[in-house]
Amino acid sequence: MVDVAVIGAGQTKYGNHPSGLKGMWAEAAEHAFASVDQDFEPRLVDEAFIGSVAFGGGQLGNTAALLTEHSGMEGIPVRRVENACASSGFALRDAWMAIKSGQADVVIAGGIEKMNDLSAERRRYWLGVSGDTEWERLAGLTFPGTYALMARRHFHEHGSTHDDLVNISVKNHMHGFENEMAHIRKQVSFEKAQSGFMVADPLTLYDCCPTSDGASAVILAADHVVRQFTDDPVWLRSSGAGSDFLALHDRPSITQVRATQQASSAAYKAAGITAGDVDLAEVHDCFTIAELMATEDLGFAQTGEGGVFAREQRGVRNQGDVCINPSGGLKSKGHPLGATGTGQAVEVFKQLRGSVESARQIRDAEIGITHNVGGSGATCAVHVFGRDRA
Amino acid sequence: MSEVIQWQGYLAMFDQDALMIQSPFSLDGAIAFGSDSDYTTMAIAGLHLLTSRGFQVTSLTSIALVNADAVKSATGTEVLSGEEEHQSDWNLLVGEEATLVFTKSLERDLAFHGPSELEALDALFAADIAAAWEAELKSTHVSQGAYVSEAAYLEGANARLGLLAQSKGESLIWPPRQLDAEGERIAAPSQPLLASATVESWTKLSAAGAPSEFALRAPVLGGIQTVFVRFEQGPCGVFLVADDEQYEPEIGDSVSFVVRRIYAQEGLIRYGMKAIPIQS
Repeated sequence: MVDVAVIGAGQTKYGNHPSGLKGMWAEAAEHAFASVDQDFEPRLVDEAFIGSVAFGGGQLGNTAALLTEHSGMEGIPVRRVENACASSGFALRDAWMAIKSGQADVVIAGGIEKMNDLSAERRRYWLGVSGDTEWERLAGLTFPGTYALMARRHFHEHGSTHDDLVNISVKNHMHGFENEMAHIRKQVSFEKAQSGFMVADPLTLYDCCPTSDGASAVILAADHVVRQFTDDPVWLRSSGAGSDFLALHDRPSITQVRATQQASSAAYKAAGITAGDVDLAEVHDCFTIAELMATEDLGFAQTGEGGVFAREQRGVRNQGDVCINPSGGLKSKGHPLGATGTGQAVEVFKQLRGSVESARQIRDAEIGITHNVGGSGATCAVHVFGRDRA
Repeated sequence: MSEVIQWQGYLAMFDQDALMIQSPFSLDGAIAFGSDSDYTTMAIAGLHLLTSRGFQVTSLTSIALVNADAVKSATGTEVLSGEEEHQSDWNLLVGEEATLVFTKSLERDLAFHGPSELEALDALFAADIAAAWEAELKSTHVSQGAYVSEAAYLEGANARLGLLAQSKGESLIWPPRQLDAEGERIAAPSQPLLASATVESWTKLSAAGAPSEFALRAPVLGGIQTVFVRFEQGPCGVFLVADDEQYEPEIGDSVSFVVRRIYAQEGLIRYGMKAIPIQS
């Protein structure tokens, strides 16, 4: 079967971006095209998959057609992919499958979200739209509340504490401080993160990711055409995906995310690796408790030991077992919903090629993964990237 | 004096086979509804009490202040307007203040002696909540994003208001589902869940993070509390806390459920179950 390589990747800076959808997407695509070692032109792309929740409007229908039209790719098959915050993780999976199936040789996968051009009043309407509208929303829940329920239960069942979450927040802000593309480039002290404004008890402001604008794009190529574009590809060794009940109350456990377990298990197996082989992981830390639980569900810590993992600083860059969120994660780098999944892939691509800012380069990185979750865990895509093809 | 019964967050008194139920709150010397109650929620509580005492109430006649659909979903009792050809044998009388009387006979003199003391509501709080509900109930109050449409609300109303679960093999399913893994349609909800459950987690969401449906009232309430509970029969659910400001949950607490207002939009009040602590 065809192997798939990443030959280019780029993104906008996350945060309050001055451009609209078209401008942001063009910027991300431009960076991705420019990152390809040999000359690359958008007309070489066979097909496009663009993730977006379409938060707030802008261009609700046929988003992908509009964006590719404004980035030199008009006329190719395109579609918008929507799986909440995992939209572009699944766009990446679809792009990978398009090449694996032999239908395309060069594909672009990306994502975009414009979240900060809404009034505060209008933005409220979009809070928690990817949870169970009929049952969770009518119980007053948006995602801070949903993840707060998970956190309190994890504390109760496993003895983790809010200080463990504080450690995650401090680490991710430290990692993101050097990242020029990060939304919040600010180190945070343990004491400050410990005493943040309560958003959803027990989660404070420092446990929650920001609301970001941003776009990201990754260019994939089939093995038989890779050498036209680069001698230094990063191989997308596998893609795993899973799903779970949409509502928290329907799941067997609220302290584990089954979709993550399914996705990572499938991805590791297909790539022929174990969690212990992973050097860096871009993990979906929309809330700090999400990262804590993900370290367990991805196999970096035993079930119930995510708090200990955080307490012992085992996810810190060039210090722990594996670097968790070298980009700063959603907490610091930002979370433009539809752009997050492929934005994670941009970070892994650059880390494995040794092209991030030197201060935050992970030493001797060979294998990296991305972990992109939709909502409170209804959907998840995990991808394994390697310097080696297999 | 009649015995005063605390029931589903209200106060109730019997006079033989007649029942008076009232709000436990007062405002400026008058009986007043709490932050999420109205005549409909109190009528449902009264019917639950009558049923628990062995009375059969298949239908009752009432004026239009009571939402007949919500009462039917929550209790199975038909509410007639009084203009129908077939009259019921129960009547629901609505008081000027927050009181209701269930009686079989309109001829008999009723003698209820209510409680001498009620919990006084803060006047500013009560005014802010009333203003918020008034704004929510306007037909022009619409959503610009996700919300529970009338069709979606009505589709789940029996399961929501009656806590009715689907039965499949040995297990109960709640909230209801459509098809199973064999592609078979799961039977409609018909099994009542035990009306008590255990708190497994809880949170209090700040007003700024609340869904837009609660945007007008959450600031007045200082945020909104939600509990994640497990019923004895297995299913779990998430519920707002009734009379929110009066109870801080803990994991392991036992709670029961009462019908209250959830939110209103485009002129339609969405009712649902809220959790209320079981006093030990």
